Amino acid sequence: MLLDVIFNAFNGLIVGSFYALMAIGLSLILGLNGVINFAHGGFMALAAYFAFTLVPYVGFWGALIIAPLLAGAVGYAVEQLIIRRLYLRDPLYSLLATFGLALIMQDLMRTIWGAQGLPLAIPDFLNQPVSEVYFFVTGYRIFVVALAILSTGALFAVLRYTRLGVRIRAGNADLETIAALGVNIYLLRSANFVLGIMFAGLAGILAAGQLGLTPTMGDSLIMPSFVAIVVGGVGSLLGSLLGGLIIGVASGITTAFYPAASEVVIYLIMGVMLIVRPRGLFGQEGLFE
Amino acid sequence: MPDIGKLEQLGRRNLLKSGAVVSVGLAAAPVGAFAQAAPVKIGHIDSTTGNFAVLGDSQIKGAQLAAKELNAKGGILGRPVQVLVEDDAGLPATAIDKAGRLLNQEKVDFFSGSTSSAVSLAVSKFAEQNSKLYMCTGGHVDKLTGSACNWATFRVCSTTWILTDGDSKILVDKFGKKWYFLTTDYAFGHSEQADYTKQVTALGGTILGGALVPVGTTDFSSYLIQAKAAGPDVLCLLLAGDDQINAMKQITQFGINQSVAVGGALFELEQIAALPEQARYGVWTFEWYWNQPGVPHVADFVQRYNTAYPGLYPSQRSWFGYVSVHAIALGCKKANSTDSVKVAKALEGLVLPPEIALQPGAPVFRPEDHQLMLGMFPGSVNQQGVYPHLMNIFDYVPGASIAQPPSQTGCTLSYPA
Repeated sequence: MLLDVIFNAFNGLIVGSFYALMAIGLSLILGLNGVINFAHGGFMALAAYFAFTLVPYVGFWGALIIAPLLAGAVGYAVEQLIIRRLYLRDPLYSLLATFGLALIMQDLMRTIWGAQGLPLAIPDFLNQPVSEVYFFVTGYRIFVVALAILSTGALFAVLRYTRLGVRIRAGNADLETIAALGVNIYLLRSANFVLGIMFAGLAGILAAGQLGLTPTMGDSLIMPSFVAIVVGGVGSLLGSLLGGLIIGVASGITTAFYPAASEVVIYLIMGVMLIVRPRGLFGQEGLFE
Repeated sequence: MPDIGKLEQLGRRNLLKSGAVVSVGLAAAPVGAFAQAAPVKIGHIDSTTGNFAVLGDSQIKGAQLAAKELNAKGGILGRPVQVLVEDDAGLPATAIDKAGRLLNQEKVDFFSGSTSSAVSLAVSKFAEQNSKLYMCTGGHVDKLTGSACNWATFRVCSTTWILTDGDSKILVDKFGKKWYFLTTDYAFGHSEQADYTKQVTALGGTILGGALVPVGTTDFSSYLIQAKAAGPDVLCLLLAGDDQINAMKQITQFGINQSVAVGGALFELEQIAALPEQARYGVWTFEWYWNQPGVPHVADFVQRYNTAYPGLYPSQRSWFGYVSVHAIALGCKKANSTDSVKVAKALEGLVLPPEIALQPGAPVFRPEDHQLMLGMFPGSVNQQGVYPHLMNIFDYVPGASIAQPPSQTGCTLSYPA
């Protein structure tokens, strides 16, 4: 039983780091753009379908780089055409707009690639367990965890040490002031939105490698990322990472004792967090308070 | 000038007259009469979105093909057949909403459809309350033709009992007696697990445990850790739709299928096609297969389906949809009416003709519970196969030989007075 719990906790860390990777993009966009991007799952799926289409030409690794860029380009268009017009309005407008967008994207993907699930081939050497005992640790999952850590680290460095990053953080803190200081906040928000979408794309491709592609794949992936953000705190990347890990491990350990509750437990944690500390672990004060 | 005006008037009148003559002529012709007769409307509620979208789509394709073929041969009692499709998204509440719309706005004569068991139970209740016949296309839960049966509901696809009994002995004999379940957490999964548990225990097997998995789960790793820890001979997957695809992929990635036999009841052409080769395995009960050499009419049906839907082969779901519409038509013909009660009575004991049964046996709608006694095709997945050659069929098992006898289903039917 103890081994069982340890296995499940360990497995939860792997799952959680994937949740975190998905949550980062969402968190970025929520922070600076002030948009609860319901279409995030749609962008995940879109990038995954781009990757599926590209794999025969550029291989898995090429697709892993190019497809998020393409999704980012679509994200740029969406920001220019739809999101940008809603910044000055109540957040409810952008929430509804992105919700509608999510449905449209889903149907577009169904029309283009079909409702039938499609497999995304990943390199063979990643597709097997690394040891007999820890059978649930596959090369692919290690790769996903490594990428989650790496990209969070890279993003953290960008935000900390580059001019763009400093501006994004400053904008998070006080958008009006940096606008008054001469920063083009529209450009800044576009760049930030695109960055967020590219993270969504990366997460989507990685998810497809394990689960395959369906037009609705984003739906089931996006809920845990929302929960991770709420638990970790809006606007905090470290918080999103930690939030993802916490719900991953909690869900894993619950499976060891009572599998039917493994889904519910993450919402329970979110509920408790919202009551005890509405801003989340590392969130800014005021966003949800 | 006035002359021209007169001419114009005459011209218009003549035009109107000739128009009237033409339309009367059309109405008199048999084709026109057929086109203008009030259509017989079948409200087909099925999934075009959600977890069951791919399976639902095949059922709809089958139903529409049947309608097209019926219309080419004079429809139902000289009236054209219309299959009106509404999406249930796999949700009972949505299904009831759509059923209400079909009934009130479209005035449908009959209902058909559903892939989800939960939806089929809801629609069945709705149909009974509104005195319309419901030909359940693809919801497998035992209860529908068991304790929750009613006069208005007939079912084309099998019960979970028939489905599980189709391969339970094969799985026990071939792989072993210690079983572990991964079961989808709604009516269909519960029903399957209860049936397998009874059958496996009766064969001397033991159930080591199982986990109920919520619908829409994407990550199965924690469940698989539990399953592997239990050390079963057979890992029995009772999942549905996309969930099963995700589970099978992860089982392969973790290498579990190398040490444990994986099998279960329902696994379908559409699902196998969506899996990469290394995730195609296991022993399952198939309910119909397109490749039945030597069985009359089957190859012809496959070809017609191919023509209607280029590149696609009929799956068991296509067959369910096809039979659903044809069964309603046969019932109407026998009853010489489209009244639901009369058609229901006519369907009791009706044997499907070979060109619709499309299998070695002759399935009958059992009068006691309205369940079609279709045969099962236990088999394994053809791992190296290319679509549509994805199954190796072991056997054909007539449904009546494995179905629970009517006395044990818990069904009592009573018609409205």
